[in-house]
Amino acid sequence: MNQEIDARGLQCPKPVIETKKILDKLQDGSIVTIVDNEVAMKNVSKLAQSMAYDVDVKQIESDYHINIYKGSMEPMVNMSKNTNGETVILIGDETLGQGAEELGKILMKGYIYTITEYDPYPKSILFINSGVKLTIEGSEVIDYLRGLEKEGVEILSCGTCLDYYKIKDKLAVGGVTNMYTIVDTLHSAKNKVTL
Amino acid sequence: MLDKEFYVLAFDSTHYAINTEKKLKEHLKIETIPTPREISTSCGLSIKFGVELLDKVMELVKEDLNNMKLYRIVREGIKKNVYPMSI
Repeated sequence: MNQEIDARGLQCPKPVIETKKILDKLQDGSIVTIVDNEVAMKNVSKLAQSMAYDVDVKQIESDYHINIYKGSMEPMVNMSKNTNGETVILIGDETLGQGAEELGKILMKGYIYTITEYDPYPKSILFINSGVKLTIEGSEVIDYLRGLEKEGVEILSCGTCLDYYKIKDKLAVGGVTNMYTIVDTLHSAKNKVTL
Repeated sequence: MLDKEFYVLAFDSTHYAINTEKKLKEHLKIETIPTPREISTSCGLSIKFGVELLDKVMELVKEDLNNMKLYRIVREGIKKNVYPMSI
């Protein structure tokens, strides 16, 4: 049995929520979610993969048809991408701690540098509010974050926040995410660090 | 992603570290990092730079040598070997 979810025109994270509702109930067969933008396509694909579904995306005119089906995939927790630690870090500010801004920036830079030296790497680093200023062009920690991403650390910035600060087009590392994924990532993490 | 060999300048004071970073950053690609644990020093900030920049860095900081110490760091796996250098 094949179900279709038409999520065109829906605000993020709606397409992800609607898809998850159906996937949670799905016994067999496949579903197709149709979205009209790339961010939604990526987020829906990521959700499906995290629930151990296979994903094929077809672009038809300006829409994305995301075909989600039970393949032979193992759940993502067993994939090499997640051989990193069990820690998820939530960074909600471009500075670390309270006090002088100059010092706060130096401490945050030092923290992210030290993550690159610390074993094991975190599973994910989530950036919200002014924390998203760390993942855009010109950020002093961009090379560290790119290096971590290459090592399989998931780097995600809050889309609402990038949008609020009008820097959505400057994102230079990792993906764009929404509160739904942020809550999911945080709440399913074994260890959480909130800065 | 980890450099195998590099230099760090460790400082007696955070303010020296910050001022030196500002001065060097105008000319060279350097990084301010937390002072590696293998080095014991009173202030937690160091400036890290590639081996090829040694002469240029030392030229720029030659007025303030009393406030800093220079170390060469060589990584072996996760271990860092630290060699103090005279300046």
